[in-house]
Amino acid sequence: MTVARFDELIHAPTRLSIVSLLAASEWAEFQFIRDSVGLSDSALSKQLATLEQAGYVEIGRGFVGKRPRTSARLTKAGRAAFEQHVAALQEMVVRSGSTILPR
Amino acid sequence: MNSELYPGEAADALAEIHKRQQQVIDRALVPAWYWWVVGALMVVLAIGVDTRTHLALGITIPVFVVGMLAATGAAVRSQFLYARVHDRLLDGTAVIAILGFVALIVGCSLGIAFGLRAAGVSYPATIGCGVGGLVMGLGGPVLNRQLRRIMLGNRAGIKS
Repeated sequence: MTVARFDELIHAPTRLSIVSLLAASEWAEFQFIRDSVGLSDSALSKQLATLEQAGYVEIGRGFVGKRPRTSARLTKAGRAAFEQHVAALQEMVVRSGSTILPR
Repeated sequence: MNSELYPGEAADALAEIHKRQQQVIDRALVPAWYWWVVGALMVVLAIGVDTRTHLALGITIPVFVVGMLAATGAAVRSQFLYARVHDRLLDGTAVIAILGFVALIVGCSLGIAFGLRAAGVSYPATIGCGVGGLVMGLGGPVLNRQLRRIMLGNRAGIKS
């Protein structure tokens, strides 16, 4: 059973989108996150740095052939925080008597 | 708990989470063309088997192998380049669905092929694989939908 805990750091709009993408992934490539969420390189770097400092995200840097590749993945702590945050959001919706209908 | 957040905002946040996770899941699914290409390659290989000449086998086997490698490489490319779907999303139910689909195709193709061969019909493997390929082309998108449903059901916050 996941404990509900609202996480201010994750809830910021762009970070919520980034963490949601990463939660469904083992890892995701920088370009994929940037294009999916619709951020600039610098904006995504800044948000990933914030998440990395919080211990929620690990950044991997490597090469595919000669091309540099940056990828990100949620840490165990990041995944736990995200699941608790989702539980907190669900609890709020359920308490209000609404139903959760994804659009 | 954040007392300043309205339930409507919480619902919007959950919808955003759903949308983003769906983006990763949709990228993980193989495209519909893949099933038809594999079905067609099965038929190509079966033509070689039925024809039983060195020339036919020399052409159809390489076409099958190269075609399978190229098609599979193209279909799973995004899993290696962009994002890899989390292992937790593909659980035992998904594995059973995939194995069941493979068993259906193999059973259908071999069953028909051996049945026709016993009845003395010409080109039994080609007809068997033709039917198997048709089932694969039509059933592949159904399997995709099933896998998508399973993965969406296994997302964080849905199942813990």
